[in-house]
Amino acid sequence: MTDALELVPARALLVPRPRIRLELQPGDRVTAVVGDAVQAGEVVAERIRDPRLVEALAPRGGVDQGTPLPGTWLPGEHARAGRRTGAPAGEFLFEHGGRRRLATGPHPDRLHAPADGHVLEVEPGVALVLQTDGPGLVATELLGEPHSGRLIVLPEDSDPRIALDVALAGAVVVLQGRVDAEALARARAMGIHGAVVGSLAERERRDLAASSARQQGGLHRLAPFGVLVLGGYLRRPLAAAVRAVLDAASGAMVGLAGDPPLLLIPADRDLPLPEPGRVVVRGGPEVGSEGRWLGPGGIRRVRGGITVETGLVALDDGRTVAIPIGELERFAVPVANG
Amino acid sequence: MVGWLVDDRQPAFFTLDHGTATLAGALVGRVDDRWRLLAATALPAGGSPEALLGVLVDRFRSADPARAAAIAGVRGTGTGEGTEPPPAWPRLAASSVPAETLAIIAATERTRARLEEAAVGAGWNVVAGSAERTDPLELTRLATRPGVAALLVGVADPPDADERDLAAGLAVAAAGIAARRPGLRILLAGPVPEAPLLDAWGTPVLARLPAPTGAPGDLAASALRAALAAARSRPDDSRRALAAAAGSLARVLALRVEILEIGVAGAARVVASPAPADDGGIAATVRVVEVPGAALFRMDRPGSIDRVDHWFTLGLDRARLRDRLAELAIAPWSDLDGDGALLRGAALRAAVERLLAATDPVLGVGGVDLVIGAGGAWSAVPAPAAAHVVADVVRRPGAVQVAIDHARLLGPIGMIADDAERDAVLADLVGDLLLPLGTIVTPRGLRPNRAAGKLVLEAGGARSEVDLVAGGLTLVDLPPGVNGTAELAFRGTPELGPRGRRFRVAVSGGLAGLLLDLRDIPLRLPERADRRRELLGTWERALWPEHDT
Repeated sequence: MTDALELVPARALLVPRPRIRLELQPGDRVTAVVGDAVQAGEVVAERIRDPRLVEALAPRGGVDQGTPLPGTWLPGEHARAGRRTGAPAGEFLFEHGGRRRLATGPHPDRLHAPADGHVLEVEPGVALVLQTDGPGLVATELLGEPHSGRLIVLPEDSDPRIALDVALAGAVVVLQGRVDAEALARARAMGIHGAVVGSLAERERRDLAASSARQQGGLHRLAPFGVLVLGGYLRRPLAAAVRAVLDAASGAMVGLAGDPPLLLIPADRDLPLPEPGRVVVRGGPEVGSEGRWLGPGGIRRVRGGITVETGLVALDDGRTVAIPIGELERFAVPVANG
Repeated sequence: MVGWLVDDRQPAFFTLDHGTATLAGALVGRVDDRWRLLAATALPAGGSPEALLGVLVDRFRSADPARAAAIAGVRGTGTGEGTEPPPAWPRLAASSVPAETLAIIAATERTRARLEEAAVGAGWNVVAGSAERTDPLELTRLATRPGVAALLVGVADPPDADERDLAAGLAVAAAGIAARRPGLRILLAGPVPEAPLLDAWGTPVLARLPAPTGAPGDLAASALRAALAAARSRPDDSRRALAAAAGSLARVLALRVEILEIGVAGAARVVASPAPADDGGIAATVRVVEVPGAALFRMDRPGSIDRVDHWFTLGLDRARLRDRLAELAIAPWSDLDGDGALLRGAALRAAVERLLAATDPVLGVGGVDLVIGAGGAWSAVPAPAAAHVVADVVRRPGAVQVAIDHARLLGPIGMIADDAERDAVLADLVGDLLLPLGTIVTPRGLRPNRAAGKLVLEAGGARSEVDLVAGGLTLVDLPPGVNGTAELAFRGTPELGPRGRRFRVAVSGGLAGLLLDLRDIPLRLPERADRRRELLGTWERALWPEHDT
């Protein structure tokens, strides 16, 4: 006999030793190699800025042993007597009509490893895959760039416009209250490395993207900055299990990853596991409430005239209510680390 | 052949439809020597299929313990709580997955537009560029971005004058991309040279497709579209299975059937028509077009939000509307009650509009006898309101029956490979698997706000008369299971299929009844938002009694 808890969709809370992809583009120069152990903050690639194409003559047959592989760096022009060397070196793209096309440009930006781990794979011009040593807290989206910093959890009732100051430079801050694009832009300007937010409205996302684009277009760019969104677009409180993980990771050097979206936590942190049988209400009149799953509540007609499967939940405030299963979620207990 | 379906000793089977947002299951059992639907339900995707099937068995046992014992030897107390694992009965399962992304690189913008049209019509998500406009570096980035499942390289056949030089360069650029993404499927359309690709590092998987021929606008129905659709098919894809099920329905019912499938990750329209077979029986021609852009909450096209706002009967500022739709795309089962249901109804209308706009060039706008709503979106509004959605958006003159695939059986049953076996199962189940909503009668060409004529309805031994006023939506009570005839006498000569004054049409009942839709074709609504909402709300309330609760 079971209580049919499996009817409630389970969401992963933590991923043990996740594989994360750091996006590259043709012309990026990867400095790490497969198998390297890297530490958070270590440079793994030099990013190209304003990439452009240059051409180089292909050497006559047999001189350089056939077509180079992607990721091969070649001089812009083969040195020949009486000619200047021409364009700078670039990454080989393809060869056509006796000429090679190379992606080249300055490399002023650095791609840092967001967490300790090992380089699993390098796809030149596509992605670098890193397996981290510690677990990752599951999020829904990373806006901006991967980064790392010390995790500072600001109180739920703090106003980001007041709480964010230069003393937090280099940190990753958790903003539990209402967040707008202005607060995030200020955080970036103060040297804060990233923010973790429960939700972010579409308008704020657009403003943030526009602000980031302006930074990218500027001559003197600010450091990378990432905003990790744990939920969706509408504001609702963080689940207790998520808050517990953030509290446990507070003060640690954490990373922000976008593919998949994760908050990367050091392996040496003891993190609380989600309690089996505990469910979170993510919609409807009881949104934000949490409680204990009691069992199926049968089919019921909800306001608006739709009939749905429900579950009986003993809420933390002492009430027992039938809630549509579609508005419930639970956190899956992660499998063993490693 | 599934085999066990025709074995009389097999007492029951389960169906499972694994959607992107919804997991739907049903229990089908033999009752009086025919298959009957015994129980069905749906849960958010991510729930356990075993737990869902356990609920179904428990519910059936609770409702009819004697028959449950007779069918399966399943005995128990019937707690109705889904607390025991389901019996090991066979399962028919189908699953739908989000459309994959196809990167298109073409020699010229003209060819890019043709390839893109064909690929979109084949159900791919598309990112595209041309050598004419985009440099090779950007084309490489486009084709190597995360999520790209295949690369289509295309040149017109014969190549246009400006494409001849570009074709070879394009193939070389594709070889460079293939070397970066080993294992990437590469599709070649038109005279693209293969040699550079065969020499590429990583030995890419190549496939030749028909060239993009035909004028823009015709590509959606081309051989290239069909080849691209075949290139993305999966053996258990529920949207493909819907096509097989539609063919069976057309043969079994001898009706022209149209399925409008709207899901969270994609959409499809299937049209199946019966025709005499060589052996004297009934065959069916089936055409299916998938449209990822018509997914329920997909709002990435210009004007998508505006169309939802157009149909939404509650005022909501644009930013809030966008956030709520974006949230629903992440969590489709949240915000179920109250105005969340109305928002889903508006999103469903907008999605069906997009589906019809994308598929009309391929499937046409010809009349059908039965329209079926399939996919989770149709279950997120009350059944009569679903009929109203069809009436609002599918604006064709004629009379059409409307139903929904309420238990999501069509996909799993479409997985039965053998036509005869599938037809036999559907013939047994057809009364159970389709939830009848009623009949919509839509004449075209009436002068608005005037007395238009009279309806005489004879059904179930009763006769009723209704005066017709053009410009409105009139509901006539016609319960499920009741069939009858409607005689319409118009003052003018509107079009109801053919044009005329007097029509006699067969009608069948349903949860919405008989809808006499005397509004304009196409539907014209007030420009002012408040007046439009008021008018839409008036119609919506008639078919959605819980509208204001």
